[in-house]
Amino acid sequence: MSVPVRLKPATTDATEAAAPPRLAEWLLRRTLPHGVRGETILGDLVEEWRERGGTRAATVWYWRHALSLTAGYGRRGERPAGQAQAGDRSTHMFLDNLLHDIRYAFRSYAKAPSFALVILATLALGIGASTAIFSLVNGILLQPLPLPDPDRLVYANEINSKGDRISVSWPNYLDWRARARSFDALAISRDEPVTLTGTDRAQRLRAGRVTGNLFLVLGITPVLGRGFTDDDDQPSAAPAVVLTDAFWRGQMGADRGIIGRTLTLDSVTHTIVGVLPRAFEFPRFGFPRPHDLFVSIGPIAGSPNLTDRGNHNGFSALGRLKPRVSVETADRELQAIAAGLEREYPNTNSAISVRAERLADRLVSDIRLTLLTLLGAVGFLLLIACVNVANLLIARGAARRHELAVRAALGGGRARLATQLLVESTLVSLLGGALGIAVAAWLLRLLIAVAPDGTPRLDDVRLDGTALLFALVASAVCGIVFGALPALQASGVRGRHALVRGRAAGFAAQSHRLRRGLMVVETALALVLLTGAGLMMRTLQQLTRVETGFRVDHVLTTRFQLAGAEWTVPRRHAFYADLLSRLRALPGVTNAALAYSLPIDGSNWNSIFIVGDKPVPERAKLPSAAFSPVSAGYFETLGMRLLKGRVFNATESPDSPKVVVINETLATRLWPGEDPIGKRLKQGWPETPAAIAPWREVIGVVADVKFNGIASDTPLQAYLPFAHEPSRSVAIVMRTTVAPTALAPALEGIVRGLDKDLPLFQVRTMEQMLDTSIARQRMSMLIFVVFAIVALALASVGLYGVVAHGVTERTHEIGVRMALGAEQRHVIGLVVKQGLSMAVLGTAIGVAGELALSQWVQGLLFGVTATDPRTLAAVVAMLLAVALVACYVPAWRAARVDPTMALRAE
Amino acid sequence: MTTPAYLGEFEHLLLLAVLRLGSDAYGLDIARELDARAGRSVSRGALYTSLDRLEDKGLLRWKPSPGSPARSGMPRRLYAVTPAGLTALRAWRGTLRRMWRGLEDLLKEPTS
Repeated sequence: MSVPVRLKPATTDATEAAAPPRLAEWLLRRTLPHGVRGETILGDLVEEWRERGGTRAATVWYWRHALSLTAGYGRRGERPAGQAQAGDRSTHMFLDNLLHDIRYAFRSYAKAPSFALVILATLALGIGASTAIFSLVNGILLQPLPLPDPDRLVYANEINSKGDRISVSWPNYLDWRARARSFDALAISRDEPVTLTGTDRAQRLRAGRVTGNLFLVLGITPVLGRGFTDDDDQPSAAPAVVLTDAFWRGQMGADRGIIGRTLTLDSVTHTIVGVLPRAFEFPRFGFPRPHDLFVSIGPIAGSPNLTDRGNHNGFSALGRLKPRVSVETADRELQAIAAGLEREYPNTNSAISVRAERLADRLVSDIRLTLLTLLGAVGFLLLIACVNVANLLIARGAARRHELAVRAALGGGRARLATQLLVESTLVSLLGGALGIAVAAWLLRLLIAVAPDGTPRLDDVRLDGTALLFALVASAVCGIVFGALPALQASGVRGRHALVRGRAAGFAAQSHRLRRGLMVVETALALVLLTGAGLMMRTLQQLTRVETGFRVDHVLTTRFQLAGAEWTVPRRHAFYADLLSRLRALPGVTNAALAYSLPIDGSNWNSIFIVGDKPVPERAKLPSAAFSPVSAGYFETLGMRLLKGRVFNATESPDSPKVVVINETLATRLWPGEDPIGKRLKQGWPETPAAIAPWREVIGVVADVKFNGIASDTPLQAYLPFAHEPSRSVAIVMRTTVAPTALAPALEGIVRGLDKDLPLFQVRTMEQMLDTSIARQRMSMLIFVVFAIVALALASVGLYGVVAHGVTERTHEIGVRMALGAEQRHVIGLVVKQGLSMAVLGTAIGVAGELALSQWVQGLLFGVTATDPRTLAAVVAMLLAVALVACYVPAWRAARVDPTMALRAE
Repeated sequence: MTTPAYLGEFEHLLLLAVLRLGSDAYGLDIARELDARAGRSVSRGALYTSLDRLEDKGLLRWKPSPGSPARSGMPRRLYAVTPAGLTALRAWRGTLRRMWRGLEDLLKEPTS
């Protein structure tokens, strides 16, 4: 042996400017022996790398050998440089072992790259999908609202005799505010879009009409100027406006001298009194766009419309609870106050109560069930992925039992072997988790992009620390829990027994039983996901098949609002007539009409009413209908069916007799078995004077149309002629012969030509409105279907693996059977039967599980029950068919076993 | 003389390669020799750990030699077979001969 000589590397010169991959070299320096031994090897590698031209191929070559060296020297271990301190010893040993285990794990995966890839892909999918959905749930449901002390914020609505939420009447609110003790402050607000004029181009703005204490309730202080005060609630107060930061920056050029200037909103001059902080966003309640500004309630507080206690004008209340007062206490107090008001004002308040809940809960109440269901579904998917990984690991453990037995025989302790296997599974899980985070980031972008308009709090959704922690924990748990099974199993290998290679090892049977058990679980989970997907598909199918009652195709709609005192009733009539004649003259337009409310879009005017020929019921039982003024041509434009009588036509004028067209539901509810034509009804309370609410004669009955979305039942409906109710808020509907969107520019041109200060908003086709109304169901369905496909793929691959493995294990037995005269079809039958038995058992458990969960998902379904036998049957058939294929392939292989070969293998 | 250490096939090939290369056998040459004569493309991990093992068994020894710029100035290990290595090779050849005896007809190269 020569004495190692320490040689310094020569100084760099031009010929060696090129260097082999630095990372590989770093890896080698860490693993090769120190000193001259290591350097000679590095030197050889560099020399050859240069000889190979330093090309990309040479670098690949370098990497390959660097890894083989890392593996080789990692196994050999370094010669000890010195003795470790006695105290450090056990830690040192532990770390040493761990490092060794990690190296060993890398090596053993490198030996079976396809195995490692399948595990990584499975986990990346499972963890990626669940992290993405979790991020969605976390941002929307779990994160606190970005407002100070959000748990003390309470949302309150009134409810009617049927338990439906209705908006809060202004006088009722004033009484709540005066009497309630649970709140530091109680405000109300409503969305009140306004038209901004006096600028280059009239704009439709998203505005909130709010009481002076609203910002106090929310805990927000303006950064410029002031917020509203209680003085702004007085009818004598000057109209004031507070701008959001986005509007101030985007439209006002972030001018700090803006306070005191004015904006013309709906033709009324408002003084700008404040600008809100940048981070603040008022809860949007389903609107895709954030607010632009807020206007004070004072200017309208004295209007008869507001001061009428029986009018619920679209307000909802927001309160800040006193410290240590619960939402339930506040709810009870408000209910007690409402009960008092009911006694004091029986005419208007009978059967009117109130419901208060956390603002955070109220904001997401519509989407909570969808999100939780998706979270549950993705949890199933993650479980399936984990079960599949566990299955693979067990199979691998079985395949490696000889190796493990050798190690056990050479003195590898049970714990040591188990740790080794755990390290392997945890390592691959963490790698899978890391990949999963990449998958999640991509999926989340996709989910946000396809999320329906108006999904609450979507801006709060991101892949944040919590989500990353979720991914980390999910992958670590996957690794530990699902690595533990095979680890426990494999570490139980008795050296002597397993060293004998062959069928006698009971270990194989044991591991096979475990894998079969896992397979049953996996099939059951897949069935539940498949059923979920099936039910969602049926729901969407039912929704798209719903009879809307009108022709949805080739209809373009939009809205505008006539604001300001200059729009007198005669001027409105003239404007509408002018507008309609121009629209109808547009090439490609066959008909056009105006309406206050549109089908699908929902009613803007609900009111109780009485009929002339029936006794007036007690106040709480007065019927309520959706009232909608429509112009002549409305029913024809939408293609609605006239069942009886006539619809509005040119004979309706401001001075003509008051008439009404009702829908079928109203007709059969109020006049069952009678002819409603010629009957009379009156919108409003029995005592409402006829000057405000005249009696109207029913002149026609039209077929029902879907009015509030597509899933809700059609309400009682009463259509009034525009000639009698020339509303200021107007929807245009046009039937076209060409693609409706192509006419949008022409439509805008016509309206601008009539009035340049009249911005159109919500320009969309009827088909788009329908699509939007089922967007949430569509998203759920898409996600479920993707999950189900992945689940089915994973389950079938898993089943295939288990059956194929079983066939390999039983080659000998099959050989014996065939030698004794079993025919091929018997062998196939045997293997398929065994495989299918798992699938059948799993399916049965899955069906039971689905039935148990059915109540939970019912709320998401439409037109189909969660226990729909047709869906279940289809899903079961599909799953079993896939399982049959997955079993048949290995069975066919088994049948081709040559008995002589199988027996000789012993 | 002690009983020669048990050697695997690869180890024998290595010893023979070093012998064939004479006085200046280093890692790169050995790998090439194995490739050229035995048709073995050998991973460097197996190569160096096997060389180390042969050294541990006392069948090989080496001395460092200064490096050139082509190898970034890093040294070479020049290998030589020790007397014990020669003994082991002879023993192996003897074993093979004894085992081959009488099988020449059966296992002769096809003539066609």
